[in-house]
Amino acid sequence: MAHAHTSDTAHHDDHHDQPATGIKRWLFATNHKDIGTMYLVFSLIMFFIGGAMAMVIRAELFQPGLQLVDPVFFNQMTTNHALIMIFGAVMPAFVGLANWMVPLQIGAPDMALPRMNNFSFWILPFAFTLLLSTLFVPGGMAAGGWTLYPPLSLQTGDSFPMLIFAIHMMGASSIMGAINVIVTIMNMRAPGMTLLKMPLFAWSWLITAYLLIAVMPVLAGAVTMLLTDHFFKTSFFNAAGGGDPVMFEHIFWFFGHPEVYIMVLPAFGIISEILPTFSRKPLFGATSMIYAIASIAFLSFIVWGHHMFADGMPVAAQLFYMMATMLIAVPTGVKVFNWTATMWRGSLSFEPPMLFAIAFLFLFSIGGFSGLMLAIVPADFQYNQTYFVVAHFHYVLVPGAIFGIMAGVYYWIPKWTGHMYNMTLAKWHFWLSAIFVNVLFFPQHFLGLAGMPRRIPDYAVQFTDWNMVSSIGGFAFGLSQILFAVVIVQCIRGGKKATAEVWEGTHPTGLEWTLPSPPPYHSFTTAPVIP
Amino acid sequence: MSASETSVKDASLRRRVRNGALGLGLVAVALYFGFMALLVYRSHH
Repeated sequence: MAHAHTSDTAHHDDHHDQPATGIKRWLFATNHKDIGTMYLVFSLIMFFIGGAMAMVIRAELFQPGLQLVDPVFFNQMTTNHALIMIFGAVMPAFVGLANWMVPLQIGAPDMALPRMNNFSFWILPFAFTLLLSTLFVPGGMAAGGWTLYPPLSLQTGDSFPMLIFAIHMMGASSIMGAINVIVTIMNMRAPGMTLLKMPLFAWSWLITAYLLIAVMPVLAGAVTMLLTDHFFKTSFFNAAGGGDPVMFEHIFWFFGHPEVYIMVLPAFGIISEILPTFSRKPLFGATSMIYAIASIAFLSFIVWGHHMFADGMPVAAQLFYMMATMLIAVPTGVKVFNWTATMWRGSLSFEPPMLFAIAFLFLFSIGGFSGLMLAIVPADFQYNQTYFVVAHFHYVLVPGAIFGIMAGVYYWIPKWTGHMYNMTLAKWHFWLSAIFVNVLFFPQHFLGLAGMPRRIPDYAVQFTDWNMVSSIGGFAFGLSQILFAVVIVQCIRGGKKATAEVWEGTHPTGLEWTLPSPPPYHSFTTAPVIP
Repeated sequence: MSASETSVKDASLRRRVRNGALGLGLVAVALYFGFMALLVYRSHH
């Protein structure tokens, strides 16, 4: 791998050292820090909009019977909650973290393609304005589930082409972001920063970016074909015309399963940065962590059939998908073992990023275990389409991906703003989140095992108690996220000055900690030399 | 050049960045049309 000797190439003009003022700074932003900030703010807004939809869902499910919304609107909420949280909150948050941290971690002056970076961000507000505006068109928002299975999704009203266009825009944004990350990492690393010396967060993003480029076009192709089935009378997925609706499921999940890892691999990278810092020990088995992430990424391409066991498939295919899915537990187990070994006999301290990282470790493992249960074909026939599945993927995505994002924000925000944040409030945010995320999602395992179906606004009375518990957990979890916003706003506005190292006494490793807090607007204009 | 942009003057680095981006973009476009072409082919056989 060739190295870019950016020391001779990064040109620096003093009069260009300050950001533009006013709206122009953000509209025409090409600085990775500005674009990272915009991504993170955007994702926080989407997190609250998607969260509001979740509150509607939990309010309706508080009691049996139909209380607040009609069933179609309920399904619009479940569908769009998922689309917004996946494409609007989690993915942009990770892209924001990548924008901020990848150049700082590899010693690059900026992302390799700053103008494309601007474009990939600014597509998103248009995409999500379009998606959210479908609430006001005849027929309302899409209500066929985020998986867009035909023929149900083809029955969507006037919002259908808007939804498809919004998904295309999100996909284009993600692909451009991924290209930028790969090209930056492969070409802009500081002299001496070999791939194996690269921090785990940058590594996790490099692998994630390849996954994105491989699967986002597949989703785009699938929804384009839905569009032609809807408007141009093709029959790709229309059985009446000789098409095959199950084929859509294959294509969708060929995208959909790697998408799960797109949402969780960068969190693995963040946790791999935080645990060593607050254990005051190097990461145990750093190289094996890289191989484990790469193995998980590879396996994610060959397990999509486990989402479709109940469709019916040859026994050989069932066995293959079941075994391949279970195989993912091996590299994941390596990671959990290494994280635990990193903490073993470490000098631990429990600042907010560490608290979120430890909660991630325990709670993501619960999501992993229930995933193994779902991988078992005969068991999946029982669990399929029940709340057990909802509990499983929410454990993976909320205390997994979202706690990973929160851990990353709490870890790096003093570096970004130059201020320490209110530790007490952040710890309150952690404890309320960690307690209520379990109150919210753990009972859903019981409901699913007892047979409560997902995506239905009403349920049999025997499911009432655990639904009430889950809804109370949901409201409390939702409210506690306001603390997150308060801590962030306070930290941006001021606070105790952060040092370059930020976490005094932990001696965190990584180039980002060699820069002052906040880092200069143009950092590493002269490339650092890595010994 | 925008005031917020860091310029990179090394021609070889610029070429590698451009070629890398074009190559990856081409892969994405090929996957997009390739999957659709596969399905069109399948629907005729």
